Amino acid sequence: MIRIRDLTLRYGDKTVLDGFSLDLPDSGITALSGLSGCGKTTLLRVMAGLTRPQGGEVRGVEPSKTAFLFQEDRLLPWRTAARHITDVLPKERRGEVSHWLAFAELEGEGDACPASLSGGMARRLALARCAALGGDLLLLDEPFAGVDETRAARLLERLRALGVPVILSSHQAAVLERCDTVVRLDGPPLRVL
Amino acid sequence: MWAKGLKNCMRIVIPPVFWLGVWQLAAMAVGRELLLPGPAAVARSLCALAATADFWLSAGSTLLRIFLGLVWGTAAGALLAVLTHFSPWASALLAPAVKVIRATPVVSFILLVYLWVARAAIPAVIAGLMVLPVIWGAMTAGLAAVDPQLLEMARAYRFSRLKTVGLIYLPSLKGHFTSGLLTAFGLAWKSGVAAEVICPPASAIGSRLQQARLALETADLFAWTLVIIALSLLLERLLRLLLERGDAR
Repeated sequence: MIRIRDLTLRYGDKTVLDGFSLDLPDSGITALSGLSGCGKTTLLRVMAGLTRPQGGEVRGVEPSKTAFLFQEDRLLPWRTAARHITDVLPKERRGEVSHWLAFAELEGEGDACPASLSGGMARRLALARCAALGGDLLLLDEPFAGVDETRAARLLERLRALGVPVILSSHQAAVLERCDTVVRLDGPPLRVL
Repeated sequence: MWAKGLKNCMRIVIPPVFWLGVWQLAAMAVGRELLLPGPAAVARSLCALAATADFWLSAGSTLLRIFLGLVWGTAAGALLAVLTHFSPWASALLAPAVKVIRATPVVSFILLVYLWVARAAIPAVIAGLMVLPVIWGAMTAGLAAVDPQLLEMARAYRFSRLKTVGLIYLPSLKGHFTSGLLTAFGLAWKSGVAAEVICPPASAIGSRLQQARLALETADLFAWTLVIIALSLLLERLLRLLLERGDAR
């Protein structure tokens, strides 16, 4: 179980987390659902150790063993799709590039740079890179933004097949209904509905 | 097709022919070769100079000095930019000094450096001093413009420092560095030759310019000036080609 306790975070006058507490399963796929700006991204970033809260703690997550998918694709404009995967793989796993491109349904796009990919393709590449990095937990912020629902459902099943716990944020009904646990949130400040 | 080729040809040929004509007319109007030699006299002088070993030795020595200045100025400018970007202390200490170098007239530097450095080394020192603040400025702007989201991604994805430099910093800096280097090259060339004129070393284009002036050999003065312009344009073109080839890789 991942235990989030009494998280507090303010940006200037805006309180995003105000003593927020929540228990999340450490297996399967868990979805955080809520309106844009309610604080889902902040919560995921705190769990990944990218944002330091002013108070509280997250137990059961080791940030150095977590793979985080940013809300933005954060691809390198000068690297090809295949290179993006190679960049996160250790030497002994370099042979897995085509596997991860196929994971994101990007076969044949290995030599393409981000500028020549569509928005959905770029998102899938970012997801493949994150999944290839791997770890004990995948934290995915809007992993299927710009991806059509049918494909998102297929990608979700491939994520499930990895056997690594996944916590993701999403608005898409087709995604939420395929997740094992859905936590509905509201805010700011963030609260469980 | 034939008309288009002729049009392109005219576009290339007419401007130099026009300006050579203006030059010739001006020389005829002045009527004294000592004040303004015509293109033919300068061409004769250039041919005579090019037939001597001293011409090539002087041109080669100047090129070497300016190249050395460009190299040390670029290396020092880049190193200082990295230091001032990553260390607030280094920035507080060094940034004002670099700004002073940028604001100081090149002639002041030439006369000061003349007091401290062997005459043959002055052009390289001066060229480097002119290059340093330009490269520093370009690299500082480039480092400030590196996308912080990509740097955060590199940390989150556990990239080593070397990998972050190779995959994010260097590609992000390439554009700033290239434009800075092209600007710096022009400055290095002009300031290096100016240093050679004021503190003439044994073999140098600037020394020959100074000698031609003292001997009232105006045609030679024009011929050496043409050599400087031609070398500057040629080397800038070469530098652009090298940088474009680097980009293509």
